[in-house]
Amino acid sequence: MSPSFPSAEQCLETSGFLFSHPCERGASTQCTRCQKSICPLHMRMLDGAETVCVTCARAADNGDENRDPSDTSTDEDDPSYYYEDYGYYGRDAWRGSGASSSHDTNDFTEADGESVRREDDASFEEDLGGS
Amino acid sequence: MAARRQHWRLYALGGGLGHLTRAAALARAAVARGHAVDVLTNSPFAPGLPLESWLGPHATVHRVDARLDKAATVAAVGAWLAESTPDVLVVDTFPRGLAGELVALLPTVRAPRVLVHRDLNPVYVERFDVAGAVDAFDLLVVPGEDAPFAHHPRAVRTAPWLLLDADALLPREEARRRLGVADGDARPVVAVMGCGRPEEVAEAGATADRLCVSLEERAAVRWLVPTAHAPGRAVWPALAVMRGVDVLVGAGGYNTVQEARATGTPLVAWARPRLYDRQALRLTEAERVGDAAELEAKVLSALLLQDGPRARPAPWVNGVHAAVEAIERVAR
Repeated sequence: MSPSFPSAEQCLETSGFLFSHPCERGASTQCTRCQKSICPLHMRMLDGAETVCVTCARAADNGDENRDPSDTSTDEDDPSYYYEDYGYYGRDAWRGSGASSSHDTNDFTEADGESVRREDDASFEEDLGGS
Repeated sequence: MAARRQHWRLYALGGGLGHLTRAAALARAAVARGHAVDVLTNSPFAPGLPLESWLGPHATVHRVDARLDKAATVAAVGAWLAESTPDVLVVDTFPRGLAGELVALLPTVRAPRVLVHRDLNPVYVERFDVAGAVDAFDLLVVPGEDAPFAHHPRAVRTAPWLLLDADALLPREEARRRLGVADGDARPVVAVMGCGRPEEVAEAGATADRLCVSLEERAAVRWLVPTAHAPGRAVWPALAVMRGVDVLVGAGGYNTVQEARATGTPLVAWARPRLYDRQALRLTEAERVGDAAELEAKVLSALLLQDGPRARPAPWVNGVHAAVEAIERVAR
């Protein structure tokens, strides 16, 4: 259940992938974790029950809540983990032949990994708007 | 025209506009061959698009509300599949279904199955046994990009799919008018593509505003939106006006990138984070930007490089036609 909320307040999330700016929409609820006022576009549901802001949802997706900050071991949920090995499921998987991959694995930097949302298994086949 | 009219059903669930756009391209080409096509979509943009009239007389579109939760969406898919038995079922991108529902539902479909097979997040591929799901299909059609199982024995590669063939695009001057450029205005057009999630459409508007300021009078900047969204310019399909666009700004989704490349339109784009799609893999270093300053610099550079009308590539090969022929061969 979302907390009741006075509608006159403004959403406190930011919008803009490249040009970050305050969201100008009216808030309709509050994040149950950080209590930030948020509009419907910046609201996410966790486990179908918890209403949170996109910042807290992202932190939950990343597993940051429970992660030991001193842990620097390889994380297979980190996109760079598999970006270094793009095509790991390549031609050998089907013993076929054909044109070589158009992708050069050296084309991609760690920053490119941001192109794939960092997810745990729970998001796949659950977030129907995430494709 | 095909020898016999077939009944196709196209499953195109997925957020944003990309799945629907690809399915619409295939549906339009199939209808033009004389087939009857039903499209299933839950795109949030579908309610605002004139799909039926655009696809042709033998197309129907079943719009599932994008706001439905998983259980309701799965129920809608089950009901749609149970409506009738087609001559072929075509599934876009997700062999298990968007919600994993096709694993249980596909065995109930007594028709050949075709997967439109594209790149997927490798973590998902590995953890959800996508390889096993792929094996349930009679044909995999790979529309112009690399994909995990592109070498599957039943896979067929085609050129990228586009909504329109080259001869269906508006001429440059007419396209510029559709983009709201006055006849006497010779400035190049920078079009910022609003697509993806609804909030990303709005963000594209902010990007267009910023470019308006930074480019001053060097270019006419237009914010393109698929459906009415004041004050954006509603143009769908955007490919129709691409000959009037001198620099395209957008994200690295399949359709934006393939449309820019086919038409030879310089593209400046960022890789949006997606759950399944890896947009950074699609973009070249020259196209890709990481921040606002880089975006403005690359757009300006692309404008400065243009000296008069640019050379356009030869008419492209639209892969939907080869796909339609391949699907006809497996349909009953």
